[in-house]
Amino acid sequence: MSALTLENVEVIYDKVFLAIKGVSLEVGKGEMVALLGSNGAGKSTTLKAISGLLGPERGLVTRGDVTWDGQSLLGRGAPERVASGLVHVLEGRRIFGHLTPDENLIAAWRGGNSGRFNELRDQVYTYFPRLKERIKSKAGYLSGGEQQMLAIGRALMTEPRLIMLDEPSLGLSPLLVQEIFGIIQEINAREHLSVLLVEQNAAATLDIVSRAYLIENGQIVMSGSAEVLKANPDVQDFYLGGAGKVDYRNVKHYRRRKRWLA
Amino acid sequence: MAYFLELLINGALTGLMYSLAALGFVLIYKSAGVPNLAQGAVVMTAAYVVWIMVSSGVPLWIAIPAGMAVMFAFGLVVERLLLRRMVGQPVIMVVMLTLGLEILLRGLVPGLLGSTPRSLDLGIGFAPVILGDVFINRTYLVGGTIALLLVGASLLFFRTRIGTKLRAVSDDHVSSWAVGISVERAIGISWGLAGVTAVVAGVLWGSAQGVDWTLSMLLFPAVAVVILGGIDSIPGVLVGGILVGVLGSVIPGYLDSYVGGGTRDVVTSLIILLTIMVRPYGIFGREDIERI
Repeated sequence: MSALTLENVEVIYDKVFLAIKGVSLEVGKGEMVALLGSNGAGKSTTLKAISGLLGPERGLVTRGDVTWDGQSLLGRGAPERVASGLVHVLEGRRIFGHLTPDENLIAAWRGGNSGRFNELRDQVYTYFPRLKERIKSKAGYLSGGEQQMLAIGRALMTEPRLIMLDEPSLGLSPLLVQEIFGIIQEINAREHLSVLLVEQNAAATLDIVSRAYLIENGQIVMSGSAEVLKANPDVQDFYLGGAGKVDYRNVKHYRRRKRWLA
Repeated sequence: MAYFLELLINGALTGLMYSLAALGFVLIYKSAGVPNLAQGAVVMTAAYVVWIMVSSGVPLWIAIPAGMAVMFAFGLVVERLLLRRMVGQPVIMVVMLTLGLEILLRGLVPGLLGSTPRSLDLGIGFAPVILGDVFINRTYLVGGTIALLLVGASLLFFRTRIGTKLRAVSDDHVSSWAVGISVERAIGISWGLAGVTAVVAGVLWGSAQGVDWTLSMLLFPAVAVVILGGIDSIPGVLVGGILVGVLGSVIPGYLDSYVGGGTRDVVTSLIILLTIMVRPYGIFGREDIERI
């Protein structure tokens, strides 16, 4: 049974701009799913529709439904959705820059001063030992990779059952991307946490997820298991940077059309 | 020398009382991330609220806590009715909104409750405290001490769990929502707390100069204090307050007799201007952290 379901969701910004046009997707319990697409395809909008963060950008879900554990999320505020076990790690990390890493974790913790808090915090520091070394400095001065780790750690403090990550690889070196993806995989396996990973970096993403959706111009154009997508020649050409060697002498001088647009 | 000392000490104490009025400004900025240009009128309203209760026979020790409760509720109502609509809007909208609220309250409250100055007796007494040759205003002495205590309490408050959440909200509204912090509630609480500090400021200033609309003029020195001290810094309120108070007392003390008075406001404006030119984020204010 799937935990999160989007049915034909349509989002309009400022009452005129149609950002996503009927997106349907599912994330099962403990499953790791990716949503791939290029800039402006509607990936972040889809996540914000789930986490309830469209309001400040004057966006609105105008059609379709988002259900979580069989209940509709529409009409609930963002904090309420977080309390129900969904958490969204925003694009660009967005940590609380003037707070220390520790205070970032405190801010995200809902309960009082209990043993559970210390447990969770220790857990976060076990996943990301590097954060512990920087415990005294303001989070704004952490490196990009450390900030991303903090953003994920902060989200874990809400005790989620589904974590949505918006481009965690943004602006990070390939080595760091590998490290962070490895940790995401570990968290997914160890805590049976569902993961919805939004990425442009298809190559690295398809290696760690079990299923993926491909979104273009606000519509899901393809979905399937990671292997199937990886093997698809169009995905290879447009998202994986070409599969084999390219013989540049024979490169045709027109842009190949994506087959799914036909 | 005694004259100078007197100006200095009374100036510093007045400055601490400015800090009291400015504290609400910083509380809101530090937790909601918006400037509150209505703080002057909120202080005035708080003074009126306490005065009404006292004049209808409620003893002071009940009237002040009750006034705090009323002003906390007032802050929550302001958030619910006005600020909640401003979510996601540019900061300038909030600036204009709070300025509008200031003007509205300045007219409305004295209009409804009477604009002649009312006296609010705290039982502090008016006889100055005499230290050697120096005369110290007794109300200012009490006010300055209370300001120190309140600033200390605010410092501690921002170390608590709720305080940390409020600071997180001032950093980034959207990521606060994303981790489940209710930004609306946080802003409401910060306005409520600003209302509570306004009661203290309003009562002390009201007993020093009477309760009428001129209490809202405290906005001007309060803004100077927060700009000088740093708009989101609690220690800045203290240091900024003392500096504004001392400069606004010593300089007019020597200059007023030559130019015929009124230099205090000039000094205050100069403090605002010079700070913005030389150190825009104030003495203790945080700089924006920019990483590339």
